[in-house]
Amino acid sequence: MQTRIISTDHQYVLNHCTKYLARSNPDFRHNYNNQFSVGDARGQICEVWRFPIIDSYVDRDAQELTTNFNRVTFVYFSLNFDLPKFVGVVGTFEKLYRPIPLNEITFLGESTGYYAVSLAIPKGEVHTYKFIVDGQVILDPINPQQKILDNGQTWSQFFTHFSTEILSLQTWEVKLLERIADHILPFRTEEGQRFLDFYYNSLDRQSKDNQLLYVYRFDQSIGVVNFIDKLLSKEERHHLVDYKICLDIIDKLLRQRNSFLEPRLMSKEMYSELYDQLWSGNVPGWDYGRYNSPQYFLQLLRRHAFTGAFSHPKYGGNAGGAGWAYLAERYPFNWRQAIEVPLGTNPDYRG
Amino acid sequence: MSDFDAIVIGSGAGGAPIAYRLAKAGKSVLVLEKGPLFRPQYQTQDGLSDFKRDEIYSTGAEKRLQIPEVANNNAAYYSSHVEPDINDEPHIYRERDGRDFATIEGYTAQVVGGGTQLYGAVHLRFTPLDLKLQSFNAGRNDLREDPNGDIQRESRDWPITYEDLEPYYCQVEELVGLNGTAENQLKPFSQNFLQIPLSPNPISEFARQGMAQLGQNYSNQGQPIQPYRTPLAVITQDHAPSGRKVPQNPETIKTSYVNRYGDPLGLKSSTWVSLLSPIETLPNFQIWTNCVVTHLDCDGNRIHRIYFKDPAGREKTLEVKPGAVVIVACSAIESVRLLKLSAQENPEFDRRINQNDLLGKYFLTHCFGGAETIVVGNPPQYPPRQFDKSISLDSDWAIDYASSEAFIRDNGLWAGAAIYNNTSDQALPIALGRTHGSQDLDTIWKTFDSGFWGSITGQNNPRALHGQGMVDFFNENFGTRLSVSFMANQVPLKTNRIELHPSVKDKWNRPVAYIIKEWHSHDVYLMNVIAKQCEEILRLGGANPDPNQIEEGGIYLAENALARIANHILGGARFGNDRADSVLDIHCRAWDFDNLYVTDGSFMPTAGGANPTHTIEANAFRIADHLLERL
Repeated sequence: MQTRIISTDHQYVLNHCTKYLARSNPDFRHNYNNQFSVGDARGQICEVWRFPIIDSYVDRDAQELTTNFNRVTFVYFSLNFDLPKFVGVVGTFEKLYRPIPLNEITFLGESTGYYAVSLAIPKGEVHTYKFIVDGQVILDPINPQQKILDNGQTWSQFFTHFSTEILSLQTWEVKLLERIADHILPFRTEEGQRFLDFYYNSLDRQSKDNQLLYVYRFDQSIGVVNFIDKLLSKEERHHLVDYKICLDIIDKLLRQRNSFLEPRLMSKEMYSELYDQLWSGNVPGWDYGRYNSPQYFLQLLRRHAFTGAFSHPKYGGNAGGAGWAYLAERYPFNWRQAIEVPLGTNPDYRG
Repeated sequence: MSDFDAIVIGSGAGGAPIAYRLAKAGKSVLVLEKGPLFRPQYQTQDGLSDFKRDEIYSTGAEKRLQIPEVANNNAAYYSSHVEPDINDEPHIYRERDGRDFATIEGYTAQVVGGGTQLYGAVHLRFTPLDLKLQSFNAGRNDLREDPNGDIQRESRDWPITYEDLEPYYCQVEELVGLNGTAENQLKPFSQNFLQIPLSPNPISEFARQGMAQLGQNYSNQGQPIQPYRTPLAVITQDHAPSGRKVPQNPETIKTSYVNRYGDPLGLKSSTWVSLLSPIETLPNFQIWTNCVVTHLDCDGNRIHRIYFKDPAGREKTLEVKPGAVVIVACSAIESVRLLKLSAQENPEFDRRINQNDLLGKYFLTHCFGGAETIVVGNPPQYPPRQFDKSISLDSDWAIDYASSEAFIRDNGLWAGAAIYNNTSDQALPIALGRTHGSQDLDTIWKTFDSGFWGSITGQNNPRALHGQGMVDFFNENFGTRLSVSFMANQVPLKTNRIELHPSVKDKWNRPVAYIIKEWHSHDVYLMNVIAKQCEEILRLGGANPDPNQIEEGGIYLAENALARIANHILGGARFGNDRADSVLDIHCRAWDFDNLYVTDGSFMPTAGGANPTHTIEANAFRIADHLLERL
């Protein structure tokens, strides 16, 4: 395996760095929900989740071979302008952890303190990596995604588009969340279920290969829980704590209500009742000391589930475009016309 | 010492036309732009653009305000990938109760092309009357809701007339690339460069019919006033001046990823694709992106040095050579702020820019609003009619009868309004959810959060929020909603102003802009009158026969009516012929400077009865002619 290195365009790197990283105000204005520990410089930086930069990728000379890849750009920024001599990245995307050097990014011929390299990495993958800066092996000081390996070591982590590996939630949390999310979206109405079965089963083999390559699991609501897991790992990391606390409370109170069944196996009526209680804010058995607004959690979950069902499938939900196709079956909505091939049919837009 | 003849700060509607004209004439031009350069597909090596047809791009993940000084601290906000981050670069608005709120105006974009990347691209000329509201209103005794005579005291004629501006409107139409129709507009066209519009979305037919009926009551040169196809800055045919080509099937140009999206295909005529990229390879043109100008410095009446931060945030200076000019075009609020920050650094600059007390005063937005309804079934007891609104551009039809003198006088108004329908709003599912019931970007997701059903019926029906309730929501709202909007002049008031905030700082530790603004009683009256017209258009056009089912109103009704809804930011450095009464002279040059020009919307003494981009670009071309005479 040899990771493909894509030539580094300095303008591209600056375009994706300056807004977020360049600054002189030391206020911790980006540490909402106290997601970072006190003094962690990430709390001063805007949208740290954008790093490494995950983007679409096509090699025009090898289009067929490259559509299943992302452009992943690793960025190291020397905040104190103390310029290192060597910056490299090692990671699970490259055999033997061979360090790949980051290039010094210049502006008008001068060093900027940014170092970057773009690699072509397959979609649907999760990787861990570290930077090597003048011989020192360090975690990515910007990207907050980290993973503790079996040997106890912490590594920085990222995932590419269409990734389906669950990263932030536990298996039991996923099962429980699936049941709750099911009741929000239209896909578990009888008609919705018929549509989903029909949509997935009626696709020919070719379309299945093309469109459903990254479908998570057909028996869940088109991947919205996977979408939420990705969102909580990345863009809305600050809400992971809401899910951790509320799913735990819900698990406990459902077990109190029926001690014979696993919560994920409980009846639709049980969930319906819970849903109404969450909405009213009055949930018997809720631990208000740990989380004071069950209604807020429901609002959060509803926004996330709705967004996951109808956003681009690369974010992990709306598997195979099923959310859009559901709308298109019921209403005039030619979504394919605007969207890139192979998901859509637009001859010009490339995604 | 730099060798540039002209340094243009900002690459949007106010800056790019000047850079284009001067560079084409062989002058050495530098554009400094705070934002990144995002190219359309046809300009990149791999054929991919940084703009995507992706609803997460236009209004991204949740963030939270962390500015302890403001009343909305810890509120959720959502912004596009090219909007400024509100924690980093907020604008602070003072509400009626004296509390401060952090926000940013819609369509503010930190990217090469500025707001022209994100806007819906409605590109209307102002009417001849819009430029002479002082003389039009002089001596009138029929003006409604103006107890103190503010209109006659505060309105100003522009120092130029429509006839002065008209050739430049034509230049914009030719060089930027617009489609639409000129016929039936109440603005004389000496030439017609508008490209042929694409077929309208069928839902817009209700708006067209309603407009046509109301237009019967008013005449233009003896003929009833008719609707016309809304001019949009989107090319529909190959565009020779910029070298852009349209797709083989032009119908595919219509996608609802237009309003609030940069265009990956470059068909939306941003100032980058239409004006700057055509001069990109000239040896006498440079654009430095991701560079924010922090202040200007002067030596006597000449700007001689520009301070800026490079893309890594390090302070740099640029010496301005003798004879060179500096053009500030950062959008109204940020331009005024830059001038005020520069005044703080140097008493000489301060004395010159504040030769009177008008800098930042007479800040303007638009009186806007409209009406919206679900298009009823046929017959009405049937479910609503549904249309594929995702196959459309931002607007199909517009009409000018509300800009006619007769309409203005009949209603006791001081100025008129453009009326047009919005076709593409809420066409995509996430846009429908997040903007449902919200008037602006500060209330995004709020109605959705507080429950679909409750927002529609006023009842709190918890069961409606999930499963079948979600189905019902789509049945009622997806592809069924039609809106008609108006855009009108706001009465200029000296108390509406841009200042520097006393304590809140941006990410560079510089004071942020502080906006203090109120609606005049006549503004409220005007918005009510014209919103009612929009309601009538929907009713007469057959979208909905029941006025009770048509929501209508002016933006002053919104929960935060003073803040983010200010999509069009204008004024604050008005131009004029009297140095005691204006910040800029007729050429948009600051009165006591030789080489300092301000060419974004801040120059406007009145806001015009239409979306402002066309006029900002036309005026910038006009200034470019003046600059060519002196350079």
